[in-house]
Amino acid sequence: MKLVFYGGGDAEENRTLDSKLLSLIKNQKEPIITFIPACGHDSDEYFNDIVDQYSSLGVSRILRLNIDQPFSEFMKDSIFLSDIIHLGGGNTYYFLKHLKKSGMMQGLKDWALKGGILCGLSAGAIIMTPRIDTAGFPEFDKDDNEENIKNLNSMKLVNFDFFPHYRNSKRYDEALRKYSLGNSAPVYACPDGVGIIVEGEEVRFVGKVACFYEGKKHFINK
Amino acid sequence: MALAKKVKQQDVYKRFDQLDGSHPFKKVLPEGFVDYPARIRKGGKVSYFNFTLAKEMGLIPADHDGKITPELEAKILQTFSIQIINEFDQEQERKFPEADMKSGTYMATRYLQLQHDNKQGKTSGDGRSVWNGQVKYRSKVWDISSGGTGATKLSPATSKFGRYFETGDPTISYGCGYAEVDEGFATAILSRVFNQNNYSTERSLAIIEFKNNISINIRAHRNLIRPSHMFLYLKQDDHQSLKSIVDYYIERQRESEVWKDCPQNYRKYDFFLNQIKDTFAKLSARFEDDYIFCWLDWDGDNILMDGGIIDYGSVRQFGLCHYEYRYDDVERFSTNLYEQKTKAKYIVQTFAQVVNYIRTKEKGSITDFANHEVLNSFEDVYENQKDLNLLHRLGLSERKVKQVQKRDPKLVENLRKSFSYFEKMKTKKGEVKISDGKTWDAIFNMRDLLRELPQAFMLSDSNLVAEQFVEIMTSSLASKEDLEINSYKKQKIEEFQKLYKDIIKKTAKIFQETEKKTLLDISRRSQVINKPNRITGDATTFIINEILKKRKELSNEKINNLLNALEATQNLNPDHKVKFPQKYPEGILNKFMEIIEEHREGI
Repeated sequence: MKLVFYGGGDAEENRTLDSKLLSLIKNQKEPIITFIPACGHDSDEYFNDIVDQYSSLGVSRILRLNIDQPFSEFMKDSIFLSDIIHLGGGNTYYFLKHLKKSGMMQGLKDWALKGGILCGLSAGAIIMTPRIDTAGFPEFDKDDNEENIKNLNSMKLVNFDFFPHYRNSKRYDEALRKYSLGNSAPVYACPDGVGIIVEGEEVRFVGKVACFYEGKKHFINK
Repeated sequence: MALAKKVKQQDVYKRFDQLDGSHPFKKVLPEGFVDYPARIRKGGKVSYFNFTLAKEMGLIPADHDGKITPELEAKILQTFSIQIINEFDQEQERKFPEADMKSGTYMATRYLQLQHDNKQGKTSGDGRSVWNGQVKYRSKVWDISSGGTGATKLSPATSKFGRYFETGDPTISYGCGYAEVDEGFATAILSRVFNQNNYSTERSLAIIEFKNNISINIRAHRNLIRPSHMFLYLKQDDHQSLKSIVDYYIERQRESEVWKDCPQNYRKYDFFLNQIKDTFAKLSARFEDDYIFCWLDWDGDNILMDGGIIDYGSVRQFGLCHYEYRYDDVERFSTNLYEQKTKAKYIVQTFAQVVNYIRTKEKGSITDFANHEVLNSFEDVYENQKDLNLLHRLGLSERKVKQVQKRDPKLVENLRKSFSYFEKMKTKKGEVKISDGKTWDAIFNMRDLLRELPQAFMLSDSNLVAEQFVEIMTSSLASKEDLEINSYKKQKIEEFQKLYKDIIKKTAKIFQETEKKTLLDISRRSQVINKPNRITGDATTFIINEILKKRKELSNEKINNLLNALEATQNLNPDHKVKFPQKYPEGILNKFMEIIEEHREGI
């Protein structure tokens, strides 16, 4: 299993993570990357950025699948021929709902477990964890759960929670400490441009990551 | 202080005051309209106001926020909430309070309409609308008219029954002089979508709503003259009036710098004819390829002189190439998608007759112009545009489209033939009756194919097997029987894929880039151009029902925000950066998107 969690940010901020992501690909001169946005309706510009981002790293086979819009069975099956599948940022609840509705959730999980490289930015990274609770706080910076989705179970590819766009501030820390008290797994909080790489049993941190566990905070990669 | 604020607010909206019924057309063609006094119609409220358009027209300042303030609403109502004092009112010697009377008079223009028994346009024209006037702002001129302002003597009802009708007479529907809220929203929604996607169209400026779903729907365009405004004088052998209105149109085009190169002397009529030919040839090609049904006919009604879409009552955007659809207008069926070209060509033929009549003062028969050189040119422009359209639909940029078409027209022609084979394929079920007409369903969703095929070719250099190819483009309207793959179909599938790849190779070669780069570029553009959830006519109807159902809980501001967001989801231009007001479709917009998806392959 190869996973890359992005805390957020643009191509420039994520240059290190991107190159580490591409280095996970073995024996493929012309890799295929599929981008799955959290929401298809506003993803045209986002996809352009993704294309620019990966093109600048020499990738020219870049696909997109909008899971909240109609697509063929052919495309549904074909994206698993990709070397990397990139889950985009956006509203985590909306993304989770449509991953489940489209039947892609299990397929993506199985593909990742078989060795497919799955990466996600912000909402896309949260999706790879056991549950998406971290999208619901802090109050001042949370995703709206417009449709009141109750089942927040997600891919469960790792045994930690992920908190993107983290800022080292009292307000964030209070919310994360509180959450970690009632949570059995650690929460890794990543600012933009910072991330986590999971390769098999190995977990590597790229940049300064905050870990919240049992109400306490400590930094990894100080 | 309060007075100063009030004065300032009045000053901000002073451009509305230009809209007092005056219009240069009145001087150009005194016989071309019926002039009506009007009074303020009370009890209305502004349901919708197009802030973007109002800013373009200079009616409100560029930094105006998107809120209908009490001052703005008062100004809109004062300007547009009017009802004409028609012939019925005058016969009944009805009196209205002086304070309610508008100072200006408002014209209902005369034009040809095929639904009138008089085929010379002596009875027809604006049957329930009048022109509010003209606004000039930053070298642009805008005509504004309002539908639902009262029954005029040019309505089909007066023509049919030979008497005048009271505005709102419940015994007649079409002809009572009222417009309806749902019509207003249909125009608002579709005109915003079409305008965004570079179609010339009337644009909805505002909807004023009254009780019982009645409304006044206000529209604007750079020039609201239709071919039918000219054709009636041709039919009536009225050389002077015909020349006056053609000259008027040409001058306006010249003044607005749309026709900067138009000659001053008699050659201006050749220029005029040539422009009309180009407009209508390109338009009919685009209507076909974008599956837009706009009931074109010999009368030159339902379309503006610049090819702009007007009167959205029968305008539809199909999801697939449902070229057999015909609208049932009770007494007749409409033209279908492909017959629009024949009608557009006939309109150009009529203009050839118009120009000849103006120049020679002798009116030839329309059949004398059946072989006019302008019609050959029409065919050339049409065919060329069809090629360009297909390359655009594939996802090539404008620059690439031009070069590929120029350098290998035969390849493009072959691809078009191959594409058309699948696009026109219909269900074996045959013709069916539907609520507003009849149709014979297409079975393949070519937009899905064009969106997914470049991605498939990025995954593998090999061609898709026939079953995969068909699966990508299969629509919900196809039956198992429709999808049978015989050896001929297999051959056509192979042929199409080969031609498609040849286009990629050709483009890459011309632009000296790798085929992978060309394919990636095509893929990302094609995903915008051929996005799956494109609004159709059916979807528009259901969306409007949803708006009307939730009308009470929707403020003006919320409706505006919703229509802004809806418009943003319908951008098909990959070069246009769209600002999404919502990060994801929530609430009513989510419902709209569900409706669009459900009806995306319909009529």
